[in-house]
Amino acid sequence: MRMRGWMPFVLLGTLIVALGAYTALREDAFLTSYNLRNLLLLTMPLALVSLGQTSALLVGGFDVSVGALMTLCVVVASYTMTPTTSTLGLIPGAFLLVGIGLVVGIGNAILIRVFRLPSIIATLATFSILEGAALLLRDHPEGSINTDVTDRLTSSVSFVPLAFIGVVVLAVLADIWLYRTRTGLAFRAVGLDETASRRIGMGTGRTVILAFVVCSVMASIAGFYLAAEVQIGSPIIGNQALESIAAAVLGGASLAGGRGSFVGALLAALFLSLIDNVLPLFQAPTEYAEMTIGILILVALVLYEAPALLARLRTSMGGVGRLRRGSAQG
Amino acid sequence: MSIPGPASPFVLSVRGVSKAYGAVQALRDVSVDCHAGEIHALVGENGSGKSTLLGIASGFVQPDEGTVEIGGNLRRRGSPAEARRLGLGMAYQTYSHVLDLSVAQNLYLAAPRNERPTYGSMEGWASAKLEEFELDVPVTVPAGSLSLAQRQLLEVVKALLARPKVLLLDEPTTALGPEEVERLHALVFEQSRAGVGVVYVSHRLPEVLGIADRITVLRDGVGQGTFAASAMTEESIVALMIGRPLQLAFPERQGGAADREVLLVASGLQGDRFGPIDLEVAKGEIVGVAGAEGNGQVQFLRGLAGVERTSGSTVCDGQSLDSRSPLGSLRAGVVLLSGDRTGESLFPVLSVRANTTIQVLGKLGPFGFIDRRRERRTITDLARRLSIRMASIEQPVLSLSGGNQQKVALTRPFLRGDVKVILAEEPTQGVDVAARFDIYEALRAKAAEGVAVIVKSSDPLELAGLCDRVIVMSRGKIVDEIPREELGERRIVEAIVGSGARAAATADGEGEAVEQ
Repeated sequence: MRMRGWMPFVLLGTLIVALGAYTALREDAFLTSYNLRNLLLLTMPLALVSLGQTSALLVGGFDVSVGALMTLCVVVASYTMTPTTSTLGLIPGAFLLVGIGLVVGIGNAILIRVFRLPSIIATLATFSILEGAALLLRDHPEGSINTDVTDRLTSSVSFVPLAFIGVVVLAVLADIWLYRTRTGLAFRAVGLDETASRRIGMGTGRTVILAFVVCSVMASIAGFYLAAEVQIGSPIIGNQALESIAAAVLGGASLAGGRGSFVGALLAALFLSLIDNVLPLFQAPTEYAEMTIGILILVALVLYEAPALLARLRTSMGGVGRLRRGSAQG
Repeated sequence: MSIPGPASPFVLSVRGVSKAYGAVQALRDVSVDCHAGEIHALVGENGSGKSTLLGIASGFVQPDEGTVEIGGNLRRRGSPAEARRLGLGMAYQTYSHVLDLSVAQNLYLAAPRNERPTYGSMEGWASAKLEEFELDVPVTVPAGSLSLAQRQLLEVVKALLARPKVLLLDEPTTALGPEEVERLHALVFEQSRAGVGVVYVSHRLPEVLGIADRITVLRDGVGQGTFAASAMTEESIVALMIGRPLQLAFPERQGGAADREVLLVASGLQGDRFGPIDLEVAKGEIVGVAGAEGNGQVQFLRGLAGVERTSGSTVCDGQSLDSRSPLGSLRAGVVLLSGDRTGESLFPVLSVRANTTIQVLGKLGPFGFIDRRRERRTITDLARRLSIRMASIEQPVLSLSGGNQQKVALTRPFLRGDVKVILAEEPTQGVDVAARFDIYEALRAKAAEGVAVIVKSSDPLELAGLCDRVIVMSRGKIVDEIPREELGERRIVEAIVGSGARAAATADGEGEAVEQ
């Protein structure tokens, strides 16, 4: 349990430092504050949506609609946060985006809890609807996004964007909540065993609904940062659904629910963005990056499961041994 | 302990509840109440509706009709959380532990708000709680690493954490040894002296008579009355539990089994929840496995089929079985008819045709191609023989009745020529009376061909009518063996409910040796 808890941090920390150091030695352009700031800004959308995805995975679900939701947010922002919008007018625009996230989250939760659809099917349907809606609003990239907003979002201290500091604090607080409070424990318990949780009187429905609403709201906030990155209403930009699941899993989340770490997901998001960032420096084709990520996920899964697998093997061997000895006596 | 007078208030009052699952009426207009300080036992055979009644009381199951009052408050919308708030503590037969979380975390989650310590002091608090209930279990290990007995005691402690007004115990002793049973009973007495009403559900009548103030008997979902325990004996309770109005027909047994050749030999077989078990089954013999639910009967059968991990040995027709995979057993001719028909035996969405021939497709035509005409002929012949009622052989198995589904599963041992042993788990569960006879007849027909059959059933009447011999299991071991001459519903029920005390006293020397 404890081993599994630390493994993602150790693995991802090592990978980030190793890849960073290697790149820094080979390329002077890497360790410049301009590039580092860029890297951290590019990490923001994936980091935010991965935190949300971790919350869905913790209760034993998936949300594959997050990418399309981010796209829709970008497209809507290109209408409500245009360069001509007054500063005061930006505020309802921002609330609208978060509101879309809230509505989509509640919709997903209703499909999953009330209509009892498997989360992957429910959110796949939502994904199509949101994608269609985004294409309806903009059938091609068009409509600039207010630079006041993007500047505000990307303001930095030296090379570290303020927002990145915010997301780190958020992830750390979320992990403390998850592993050091009763409600966090209850959240994990629902993911691990819903029947048992219900029997001891926990509101399991509420927990699952909350998890999916959090996931969608985080995706809509990620939409802001995606908008700041592309600065145009593009209907084909959000493809972070699978990447966010990859980040959450690399960060230690179990697809079976009940396990995961927000800090781990953040580190994984940073690592995945780092790969994207360093590839152009090496002129390596992106195909390799894709394959590397796939292999890494497999390696990580095996590594994370290794302690549990070993323990299970040991107890089952021990159990059979005990039985054999018992029967020899009897 | 004093028997509470009528003055003491009801802490639990279940009135006129009914519940149907599909066509099966699990409960019909049942009323039970429990006074403060009373120990009220609920007894009945497997499937008599005890679990449904407890589920309704605890808020897990919604009744179709009827009301539940806890501590004098009418329960509004049924949920376990609400029942707990009103003062109901429930120890589930299958527990409520999150196995991946530690013992301390499980206790912590089960504690009500006012009992809860700070998160950081959880482990010290949990140790103190366990000490209070004299349960010696480390609090930092995952609940999944505890023994079944420890889990069962922990379940009771969790139910008591909220200091309930009424405590529901569902078969709280299935995994416990005699000493632990005594400890649990001491705890129950202590609670009742403190004014807690206890509803105690158990198959074990000696236990029930030793602990209860009043006893309510259920049979087929209908209350048979509530009685003062002092006025009851094991015999009088058994008489209320059995006695089905409906008489079943069974096929004729063939000649004596004594001189037959032994086919299946299990020696020292043990696995999760059962063993060590020694059993010999002869060719053409039908052996019944009886016992209260959850005493290892299912695991024993699945162990024989290689579906569960076992140690010890099983020899079938001189050939040692590989216990690591079901395929090994299947190749040796051992076929399991799972009790979970649509989950394990059948492919529910596929047709009768596909389900019937799926294991023998290779024999239905040359070069791996299926001769459809031959396939259809084979199936229609078998369907007639087993009286499978269906619109067409292309009908999905899902749309058939339970009895016809079971018959489809039964076609497989008929098609495979190499079957030597059939292990049938609850072969007639959810099967209507007419179809039951067809299933009994099919099993008897296979036995007549020299196949050994083992039937695990929770219906004593069925075992008495169908089998040549019945073994009775308790806590994973064979505690009684009933030969053909003695077979009867009452004899089996007595063996089940008296398991331990009675069976050890009445069983012959061999029976005792097995139990040790």
